[in-house]
Amino acid sequence: MSAQTRLEPFLAFSSRVTAFTVFELQGTGQAAAYLETVVGVVGEALLGDLLSIDEAIQREADGDAAVRDRLLRARIFSDERLGPVARHIIKLWYLGTWYALPKDWHEVFGSVEDDVTFVVSAAAYAEGLVWPAIGANPPGAKGPGYGTWAMPPKIPAF
Amino acid sequence: MPSSAPVDADTIYDAVIVGSGVSGSLVANELSKQGFHVLVLEAGPGEDQTIRGYEKYLSRFYEATSKDNNSPYPANPNASMPRSPAVHSLAAGQPDSSSYLVQNGPFPLDSTYTRTLGGTTMHWEGKALRMLPEDFETRSRYGQGLDWPISYDELAPHYRRAERELGVSADVQDQAELGIPFEPGYVFPMQGLPASYLDQAVAAGIDGTGVRLDGEDYHLKVRAFPQARNGIPNAAYDGGKGYVPVGAVSTHQVEQGERCQGNNNCVPLCPVQAKYHAGKTLAKALAGTVGKVDLRTQAVASRVHVDHVTGRVSHLEYKAYADPGSPEHTTHTVRARLFVLAANAVETPRLMLASGLPSSSALMGRNLMDHAYLLTWGLMPGPVGTMRGTVCTSGISDLRGGAFRHGQAAFAADIHNDGWGWAGGTPEVQVLDLVDSMNAFGPDLRRGAVDRISRQLLLAWMVELMPDPSNRITVDGRYKDALGNLKPVLSYNIADYTLAGVAQARSLSRRLFQRLGVEDHTDYRPTDVGYVSYQGEGYVIRGGNHWSGTHVMGTTPANSVVDADQRSWDHENLFLVGSGSMPSIGTSNTTLTLAALCLKSAEQMVRQLRDETSAVELATTTGSAQA
Ligand SMILES: Cc1cc2nc3c(=O)[nH]c(=O)nc-3n(C[C@H](O)[C@H](O)[C@H](O)COP(=O)(O)OP(=O)(O)OC[C@H]3O[C@@H](n4cnc5c(N)ncnc54)[C@H](O)[C@@H]3O)c2cc1C
Ligand code: SF4
Repeated sequence: MSAQTRLEPFLAFSSRVTAFTVFELQGTGQAAAYLETVVGVVGEALLGDLLSIDEAIQREADGDAAVRDRLLRARIFSDERLGPVARHIIKLWYLGTWYALPKDWHEVFGSVEDDVTFVVSAAAYAEGLVWPAIGANPPGAKGPGYGTWAMPPKIPAF
Repeated sequence: MPSSAPVDADTIYDAVIVGSGVSGSLVANELSKQGFHVLVLEAGPGEDQTIRGYEKYLSRFYEATSKDNNSPYPANPNASMPRSPAVHSLAAGQPDSSSYLVQNGPFPLDSTYTRTLGGTTMHWEGKALRMLPEDFETRSRYGQGLDWPISYDELAPHYRRAERELGVSADVQDQAELGIPFEPGYVFPMQGLPASYLDQAVAAGIDGTGVRLDGEDYHLKVRAFPQARNGIPNAAYDGGKGYVPVGAVSTHQVEQGERCQGNNNCVPLCPVQAKYHAGKTLAKALAGTVGKVDLRTQAVASRVHVDHVTGRVSHLEYKAYADPGSPEHTTHTVRARLFVLAANAVETPRLMLASGLPSSSALMGRNLMDHAYLLTWGLMPGPVGTMRGTVCTSGISDLRGGAFRHGQAAFAADIHNDGWGWAGGTPEVQVLDLVDSMNAFGPDLRRGAVDRISRQLLLAWMVELMPDPSNRITVDGRYKDALGNLKPVLSYNIADYTLAGVAQARSLSRRLFQRLGVEDHTDYRPTDVGYVSYQGEGYVIRGGNHWSGTHVMGTTPANSVVDADQRSWDHENLFLVGSGSMPSIGTSNTTLTLAALCLKSAEQMVRQLRDETSAVELATTTGSAQA
């Protein structure tokens, strides 16, 4: 599968686990960089498995959010191989940082050379979703303007 | 432009200044305005003189996985600095020499400074408070600490000049209510910064709270802190002349930083330079045309040489390095009529002691003070927009002075707009915990982030500490840095006088949280760095970054290192300037006061340079290469 065709299911999965729309995720400008980061560390095969299980879950849940969440927990988040990676994808979106996978993951599923904790890029830091989630700017970037801090926070509904 | 070329060995400068922080820059600018030829030696690199260099710091900060307060600045073993992640709990009787600042204990102090062009103001927070008049006479009033050789009234005109130079935004009325006298009609250069929404929520809950200390009643009121950060200029400033804020400095024209944008990143680095940093003063000094300021970066002053007949400083030795990654360096000598050490309250005494100059009072390096900070934190009942605005806009200042100081330290509290970050509860930590431990994803995660971050309240209680000769900076031949310079060795402890203030702050915090309906999440663990136990209760005390007292000023050569002009009693052409001269620190962040002192001293330096008729003896110069 090419990076381009993979982007769509990657964004669909990301949207479900972050509670930001695909449109908002694309707006960060980071989608391709994050996909590349994940593939670079865990490889095509693992991500492919994760995304096809996610697609199967969507078909099975058929729009029922409770069923979907239960299946996501059962088949992805609690899966020893996929769970840590899925959680790391959430963190990537929220914080712009790839965290090194736990040591025991590496012991079971093979060591990956480049797996260290790193901020994907300066832009990724500023695009972390935690900031829009809480209605604030990332410290040190996108200054909202003099005196805005005196107003009540605008925490976006979702 | 900064340069790392060696200085011309034949030049006799009017003054050589060690350090390009706010102290050194202010003195350089004042002397240059009076026509003198000045050399500034800066140990660190000088990349921030251009916007490009400044932006490099910024992207280093964005990309750093540990965003501690020195994270924008690259490691430099040739001119090292203390870093928070390097501070560990100490085992009894065992110094920790694993990092630059050797911690001798018993208390491990987590305070930092920055060795780079512009010094520590590159990452200071920017609170710019005057001290209270009573802070200048704690010995005679309260039987504690040391009196200053000058009064508040004598320093007041210099405070005014410092407020202009640093660009202070504040409201006079608010400060006057604390018992600080201002000249009639005075206004600050810029209007006070608006209180954050969080401040307003706290004020609504606690304004009017009564506190009884040592038989006297105090009433609390949340008020804004004076800040060296650009706000709305006061039209009435300077008899109606107004004030023009100084924005970003650069070698090419950029227009930003004339007003704070609420980036919430003042520490470690303001991205638009709305916050004052010494580079602003230094840029003026370098551009001045009356006198001349030469600047050498990557030049570490390594020895002060004294003529033992006259007692005057004859010359200064420094080590120049080309590459921060290599210890290779050359050693040079500079000569001047006047020498000014402005390397900060750790590095200045370190340099003097490494030069074998402990002062005839033997007080060099002693009386080290720093504010003890106690953090208390919790969650407000609903979202209050934490993580917006400057790091801190307001706080509680009503207990900065009073008769209770006979028996316990005064204290003040900052309301932190950046939430629990200082206590280790950053947004990053919250998100990681939600995902990894709470197994939250999707809407639960988003709601959880709001719930755990936007409700955060952190009060940082600043508790005063009195001078104690056994709290000190020393040097020890066993500990050297990459260039072979002796590292600073710190011995530090916190007296019961301060701990009594800490305990009082903790119990007041409980009351305030009760009034506000705040869920108290304050947690001090015996394994935390800075854990102390006092009267059966445990606390964690953090460093305040307000190093001071180490070349204390006083009235005689026996009771002090410098006189009221910060001139060394022992060496008449040597000035030691900065917070090291302060005999007490009260509950004021130290920089506005040290800036006022430097402006005062510069007047004396000018008088001295003008009056001095005696020929300067020429020392032979050396410029030997060393690996
Ligand atoms: C995180 C943080 C927050 C702070 N917030 C506040 C605040 O809100 N309000 C406040 O009032 N204060 C604050 N401070 C303290 C404030 O930053 C300092 O008081 C102030 O910057 C000291 O200025 P200085 O010029 O005396 O020393 P520095 O700024 O430390 O400058 C000394 C300079 O000398 C250079 N130097 C050192 N040794 C040598 C040598 N051997 N040869 C040549 N050069 C040398 C250094 O590289 C440095 O550039 C804060 C400090 C920190 C760390
Ligand atoms: S809040 Fe932002 S713009 Fe304002 S001084 Fe701090 S970092 Fe600079």
